[in-house]
Amino acid sequence: MDHDNAFGELIQEYIAESLPLAEAVTDAFLALERRWRDGDTDAADAAGLKGTLHTLKGNSAMMGLAPIQLVAHVLEDLTARILADTAARTEAAAALLVEGSGLLADLVQAAANPAALGGAAEEYAGRVRVHLGTAGDPVGQPLRLERRNIERRADAGADASGTIRVDFRRLDTMLEIFGEAMIERSALLEVYRGLTARYGSGPEIADLERAVSALGATMKRLETALMQTRLLPIATVFGRFGRAVRDLARDERKRVRLVTEGDDTRLDKTILDRLGEPLVHLLSNAIVHGVEPEAERVRVGKPPEATVLLRAATLADQVQITVADDGRGLDTDRIVAKARALGLDAPSADREAIHALIFVPGFSTAEQVSTVAGRGVGLDAAAAAIHALGGGIEVASEPGRGTSFTLTLPLTLAIVRSLIVEVDEERYAVPLSHVAETVRLEPGTLHEINSRGVAMWRGSAIHVADGGQLLGTGATRTAPRNYYVVLFAGPRRRGLLVDRLVGHQDVVVKGLDPTLGRPDVVSGATILGDGRVACILDAAGIVALREVA
Amino acid sequence: MARHSKAPVVAAAPSVFEFADQVAAQEAAAVAPAPVGTLHLITFRLDGEEFGLPVETVREVIRVGDITRVPQAPRHIRGVTNLRGRILPVVEIRTRLGLAPLVPRSTARIIVTDVRGRVLGLLVDSVAQVQKVPADRLVAAPDEVKSAHTTYLTGVVHMDARLIILLDLALALDASASPT
Amino acid sequence: MSHATPRPGTFLVVDDSALHHQMYRLIFSKGPLAGSTVYHAMNGREGYALLAAHPELTLVLLDLNMPEMNGLELLSRRQAEGLHPHVPVVLVTTESTPEDEARGRGAGAWDYLRKPFQPADVERLIARLQAERAPAA
Repeated sequence: MDHDNAFGELIQEYIAESLPLAEAVTDAFLALERRWRDGDTDAADAAGLKGTLHTLKGNSAMMGLAPIQLVAHVLEDLTARILADTAARTEAAAALLVEGSGLLADLVQAAANPAALGGAAEEYAGRVRVHLGTAGDPVGQPLRLERRNIERRADAGADASGTIRVDFRRLDTMLEIFGEAMIERSALLEVYRGLTARYGSGPEIADLERAVSALGATMKRLETALMQTRLLPIATVFGRFGRAVRDLARDERKRVRLVTEGDDTRLDKTILDRLGEPLVHLLSNAIVHGVEPEAERVRVGKPPEATVLLRAATLADQVQITVADDGRGLDTDRIVAKARALGLDAPSADREAIHALIFVPGFSTAEQVSTVAGRGVGLDAAAAAIHALGGGIEVASEPGRGTSFTLTLPLTLAIVRSLIVEVDEERYAVPLSHVAETVRLEPGTLHEINSRGVAMWRGSAIHVADGGQLLGTGATRTAPRNYYVVLFAGPRRRGLLVDRLVGHQDVVVKGLDPTLGRPDVVSGATILGDGRVACILDAAGIVALREVA
Repeated sequence: MARHSKAPVVAAAPSVFEFADQVAAQEAAAVAPAPVGTLHLITFRLDGEEFGLPVETVREVIRVGDITRVPQAPRHIRGVTNLRGRILPVVEIRTRLGLAPLVPRSTARIIVTDVRGRVLGLLVDSVAQVQKVPADRLVAAPDEVKSAHTTYLTGVVHMDARLIILLDLALALDASASPT
Repeated sequence: MSHATPRPGTFLVVDDSALHHQMYRLIFSKGPLAGSTVYHAMNGREGYALLAAHPELTLVLLDLNMPEMNGLELLSRRQAEGLHPHVPVVLVTTESTPEDEARGRGAGAWDYLRKPFQPADVERLIARLQAERAPAA
């Protein structure tokens, strides 16, 4: 911090207060840009942003952070212009606002290192001034929605002065190092347990316990802080769909309104990057197959314009994304007919189970289905992509009322709270997000029906598979199965017989090398406290397996 | 015959894959490149036979720790092990060569190879040493050896009474391609 | 006239920025103003209540831009209700036009303080106020 600024010691308070403001401005400009692109050039809510920018400018000035003050200042001018002049609401103006607010957030974040701030701010302010001098120019520039562009530009400006902007890969590296620290902490914990077991209690053991537990708490905070740096608003993904939906609806000669909610819901960038494709599948399905042509809608008394809703919401440590349409709904009869034609086992009464068939690989990709069953290409691909992210997908549909897909995703990918189980002397981690319950196996509670294990669980019969057989160690069963773990993914349940429940642990997820093939039942691996590798079971994959004894 | 396969072997790791093509091309054209310098081979044993890998393709040699099975993994994958926080796939190179799986003894080692950034462990009975071999000692395999082991062989080295078989690392990667 | 030194007093800071409150804390806890009593309000409404409760205030430092009653609204209301007109109020702004300033003075602001300011600016302002308000020697 500036040495001659009297408030230098308040830099962390400055960042804490200003960053949320800058991020709120960024999100608001992203939303504004999206609306403008969709043809709605209202700018009323930008009036409030002017005040926020003013506050940011004042705060930055007080701290002697001239570059940030400058960016806030030109953004304020640009905002004033679009408020005053509807002709100034061009795509170029929107792109500049989005870029500037992103730059503002980046600069605020880097404020503790003021020497690094200069270049990008000056360069950006120069362009805004040029823009303001020529505003009203109808030639709009192509939209730049992705933050990546912003960052690249800002980098170019700030490099010379030694920027502290962070490449996302470095965050990945930090996370990996954090993961190693987690493993080392687990190892320490094991040592502590060993010492307690051998020597009982004592002042040193108590000190060690305090130290280990304090370390645990600090690691938890570090994890949270680290994860926070990786979260980005889902607006960056939702923002891509406005135009695609409009174009597709036009091609289909349908009238479709895309409504987004929860744009500021935050998700790990790694997940965001992989969310676009499955969402495109779901959206195009909704438009092509879900929504009826205008005439048909009018005939059945619906508004001529269909609504497709894209909503995100945070629920505890998960994010739920809904893609819903108010179209004709799934046609269960045709799905059943198609399933039978494909030789699939099709239940005739259970509507949920019938709906779930559309995610079966190959089912929805069949061209025939896309027209007759009202659902088309790529649902299995979308489901696979969501499962690969450790998430789940469910569908609900009412004939004539519409269809809604609900995706459940972890907030972050890297660390998963897991149940550690043992089967035939091998340990596995089971993500707790997919564990409904663990049940001690009492004599006489497991029945064999058609050579499949079945148990009554919460009033219904569930299939209980043998862990050893499922995981390929069954031939050499070395221990009695004492428990079963009830796994669930969406509406599906399946029990898994295991020998021992070892405990709960946060595990750091590591990917599997392609050399290891693509197992259905394993989603990754982790390193346990004792240094051994344990596979992480893919609960969604296991409950979806068809041929299991 | 005695000369035509050496230059590619001393080339850096990334060229291992091109090697097969080059051998084929060279054999077709019967062009003999000049012998170059000295080969450094890490030699190891599999069921009594001695094998070698160019040191450039080897990162390190580690003792065999706990190896965790991976359900549904390809047949020649023994499992995974913890290499300083990294999940290292361990290839059971013996079964790939038609031998019985290794019963680990204290001499067993994992050779950590790095081919084009793909890091894999090869489980071997024991590791002997780094062997310097004059490049011109490397010859194409005798036909009788070749017909039996043609898939993993890139050449042999005669040293005194010893015969060192140069293992083709593509084989290890190949293990992933063959299903369970 | 010599550069006067301000004396500690009782101050009310009305600002929606926690950061600014921290800054005022620094100013009023160091140097010549150390030992002052400072009341903090996060918006105009709170500020008005504190002003009503403390007729002994030396000075109110009032931010112009705030949610829930901004600085000018607070001043107008005070004027309308005749609340402690003897307590001087300084409007704090990032930038203001002469018209803004005229409106502020019309509503009873004693002076303006412009951001960015340094502790010395606040000290000078308070010293000037105290000199102006001091009973003639």
